[in-house]
Amino acid sequence: MPWIKSEFPIFETARKEGRPLIFLDNASTTQKPQCVIDAIAGFYAGYYANVGRGLYWPATAASSGYDQAREKVRVFIGASSKKEVIFTSGTTDAVNKVVNSFLLPRLEQGDEVLVSEMEHHSNFVPWQHACQSKGAQLKVIPLDAGLNLDLSKLASMLTDKVKVLAVTAISNTLGVKNDLKKIIKLAHQYNIKVFVDAAQLPLSAKINVQNMGCDFLAFSGHKAFGPTGIGVLYGKQVLLENMSPLAYGGGMVQQVTIDKTIMADLPTKHEAGTPNIAGAIGLAAAIDFINLVGVEEIGKHSAELRKYAVERLSEIEGLTLFAKDAKTTAILSFTIEGIHPHDIAAFLTEKGIAVRAGHHCTHPLTHKLDIGGTVRVSFNIYNSEEEVDFLKNTLDEIKSFFL
Amino acid sequence: MNDRLKALYKTQILAHAKSPFNEGVLVNYTHKLQAYNPVCGDQFDLYLKFEDNIIQNASFKGYGCAISKASTSVLTKHLLGKTRSEAKALIELFLKVIDPENNESPESITSDDELLAFTSAREFPERLTCANLAWEKVREVL
Repeated sequence: MPWIKSEFPIFETARKEGRPLIFLDNASTTQKPQCVIDAIAGFYAGYYANVGRGLYWPATAASSGYDQAREKVRVFIGASSKKEVIFTSGTTDAVNKVVNSFLLPRLEQGDEVLVSEMEHHSNFVPWQHACQSKGAQLKVIPLDAGLNLDLSKLASMLTDKVKVLAVTAISNTLGVKNDLKKIIKLAHQYNIKVFVDAAQLPLSAKINVQNMGCDFLAFSGHKAFGPTGIGVLYGKQVLLENMSPLAYGGGMVQQVTIDKTIMADLPTKHEAGTPNIAGAIGLAAAIDFINLVGVEEIGKHSAELRKYAVERLSEIEGLTLFAKDAKTTAILSFTIEGIHPHDIAAFLTEKGIAVRAGHHCTHPLTHKLDIGGTVRVSFNIYNSEEEVDFLKNTLDEIKSFFL
Repeated sequence: MNDRLKALYKTQILAHAKSPFNEGVLVNYTHKLQAYNPVCGDQFDLYLKFEDNIIQNASFKGYGCAISKASTSVLTKHLLGKTRSEAKALIELFLKVIDPENNESPESITSDDELLAFTSAREFPERLTCANLAWEKVREVL
């Protein structure tokens, strides 16, 4: 889709020895369309001020931009109220905040928290830390032979002792998608609250938190064409209301005396300090861009490229694809026998191809697979079949050099 | 393939990466060290056997890219027969060879081909930790 690619200025500027950038590291972060860059620059250059308190005109414009961004996010994730949309610095920040404000005050010795074997460290380590500090147990839901979450094992792990089940929507290493609706339904039978790590979801499928039924969901702006340092935590209103503030400080209060503080209402209660206003405005522009192209369109394009990459890379002898049948996602991991993933990545980058090599912050998963790492390619709307062909040919060259 | 990168991986490195020197577990070791790079996950167990202040044997076992594996292989080979202070001097010398901040020409530092093979690491600062991983670890115990 040439017109879409031309919206991303980096592909004009970041050339490697005359060759354009082939960006296949979209699971890590995405490139930025001009409209997002313009929205951020436009805020700083045109109506910059703090939000919430100022009565002068740039402040009211900034407040209104920040508020509109929240409304855009609400519609984007299908939440019923803006009160359920909390801005964070990213997915990791959201996980930590839910752990600190929701889980820890409710977690007792002997309780359990469930995570899956395919979790990113950011949806693993905070829960692990919380469990260890309270004498609770972190249990890991295993994967089946096809590297999908083993739902029958999951069902057998659900008990009244489990306080939270934290699971990713899409594995950032394997690209497999979890059946969230089913998982959430199972968990709710035991009154277990479900936290969904949706970091890889916003460009894959339309999110609807009400339909999904999750209790919490988080994603980062930068993986969805938005800027870094902004993310979203969705929580069911009743849960967010009953939770202590995610952080304390200015902005999140109604009234402060020496004896006590009355907190502000949702969502302000959970957003202490000056928020990332430019980040929220940039994220809103990113959502506009996604809506313009269409989430389904982006997801379909990337999934088709993944499928094409499975076909082309399968031609390479000694190349192992992981979860190659995973459908409707953008992420594909592979290894080549006898060549370390980092050596492959180093040669690819010399050809202008940006991939990720290593553990992808999923040590429990690579440990289970008994591999030192993989090469991961992940697609987006600006990638093409020609780029996959070029990747395939370059891998052939690398193989003949090493082996 | 790009010549610049090919130079980094030239024959010496590929040869060591493919058939490393003394790869395996040493039974009668006096020192066992773990060289681990959390950024990429490369991990080697290093075994040294000191006798009368001399490194009588050295080996390694683990997982890493061609650069880190070859540099570990070259390290274990060059440590053999060296006293603590000789080993220390060797490591300082190698680190100078690959140091991108160092203006001395590598050839003026050493004439050893196996060490000079890593000179190109100067051009790839992101691969420096591959080339010096095991060397830095051994330096800690000397």
